[in-house]
Amino acid sequence: MVSKTEEEQVNRLESQVENGGGDAWDYLGLVRKLKLRRFDKVLQFGLSILNDPKQRSALGPQEWTLYEEVAIAAMDCQCLDVALESIKVLQKKFPGSKRVGRLEAMLLEAKGSWAEAETAYSSLLQDNPLDQIIHKRRAAMAKAQGNISLAIEYINKYLEIFMADTDAWRELAEIYVSLQMYKQAAFCYEELILSQPTVPLYHLTYADVLYTLGGLENLQTAKKYYASTIDLTGGKNSRALFGICLCTSAIGQLTKGRNKEEKENSELHSLSALALEKGYKQRNPSKHSLLTATLKCLKL
Amino acid sequence: MGGDSKYEIHQNAYIKLVLHALKHKTSAVNGVLLGRLSGDETVEIVDSVPLFHSQIGLLPPLEIALIMIEEYFNDKGLSIVGYFHANERFDDFELSNIAKNIGDHISKYFPVAALLLLDNKKLEALPKGKDRSPVMQLYTKDASRSWKLVESDGSYRLTIKEPSANVVLVDHISSEKWKDITDFDDHLDDISKDWLNSELFN
Repeated sequence: MVSKTEEEQVNRLESQVENGGGDAWDYLGLVRKLKLRRFDKVLQFGLSILNDPKQRSALGPQEWTLYEEVAIAAMDCQCLDVALESIKVLQKKFPGSKRVGRLEAMLLEAKGSWAEAETAYSSLLQDNPLDQIIHKRRAAMAKAQGNISLAIEYINKYLEIFMADTDAWRELAEIYVSLQMYKQAAFCYEELILSQPTVPLYHLTYADVLYTLGGLENLQTAKKYYASTIDLTGGKNSRALFGICLCTSAIGQLTKGRNKEEKENSELHSLSALALEKGYKQRNPSKHSLLTATLKCLKL
Repeated sequence: MGGDSKYEIHQNAYIKLVLHALKHKTSAVNGVLLGRLSGDETVEIVDSVPLFHSQIGLLPPLEIALIMIEEYFNDKGLSIVGYFHANERFDDFELSNIAKNIGDHISKYFPVAALLLLDNKKLEALPKGKDRSPVMQLYTKDASRSWKLVESDGSYRLTIKEPSANVVLVDHISSEKWKDITDFDDHLDDISKDWLNSELFN
């Protein structure tokens, strides 16, 4: 995950390079480090370096990294001829390389030659069954073709081997949510919370999924996870504060005064509402009255 | 029923929705349409609010957004009259269940609600052609209460108020105006951000 300061840093550098000020190589390094998907800029800035022999040779062995990055970015932009050119350079430098073979397979995929790409990936996997990137490409390819159930199957198989890959768990969770398979999504978030208990995002999204599922028990659990999100973020997460208000209001409606934890419920509700009021007053006063009206709808 | 209603969307409402989809090219996005009935058969879509670009299948952010949006536009005499959806994949022209469910919810309160799905093929062809019709497909609820695509030969049922809207849209696309769009997701992440996008066209 990318923090706000990191994102601002990238954006600043991006516009500097755009205006001829900043260093394109620094920018590319940052994009690489933060694993961002800014393919149009990577292609544009990367090519400007590669097309200038002086800048290119200054990179030393990093030149080949850049060729690989430009090839992938070009595929993302559907500039397939640029991708092909870069791959050809790499083929010449590293004949028989599996890593270059992967790029060739990806180019087939980018062309939409699904069957050929599938064959290429399968043969690469035979040589190295633990190549994570190729496993992921196959799942992504299934998704690109609209075959979501196959994508789910691939990711599940992948997770049997690489259980600790949180990105893959997240991807699976998000697919389940998009199919409205909330129980399955909840399971994924439970796994994520178990493996990284201090990441607030997982607590928050788990609570969101439980609230979406509904029912008293789920609402009560959702409330607890919104509360832990608030705890982990020092009270700064407005999604979680809204979540508490939604939960307490829905629990109140379901139990209609028969709730044993009524006092705790209403206390938590007014505390969250108060925190939201304070936040809007400070940071967005023009929408403060709108917030008050919204909270009125969620009254206990 | 939305059987014979016509829909007229204002340029700014239209452009906001398309730019929102372009800002988040790699994910599904959605938005709501604000407007009113004008005359017997026409729904006027005056404004729009871009909603989400991540995990649009989750209920809590949607509930908060709908309450806030309704509260805001009620005072202006506008209500939620429809829903906009753009699929994750370029060549996906199916109306997802999430879109249908949200549409169902909106049509409980506004029976002739429109459901708009971004037409990527038309959007792609826009800079080359002179098409003045919206780059969206219109779905309405038929007598059996299910969402039906209004056939393309009946495309006159969804029109843009300003005839030059697509020209303006292409202009905004080439000047990368989509970077400035703020949706409700952005607002929930940082409440100082304005989901009304009131500065966008200034």
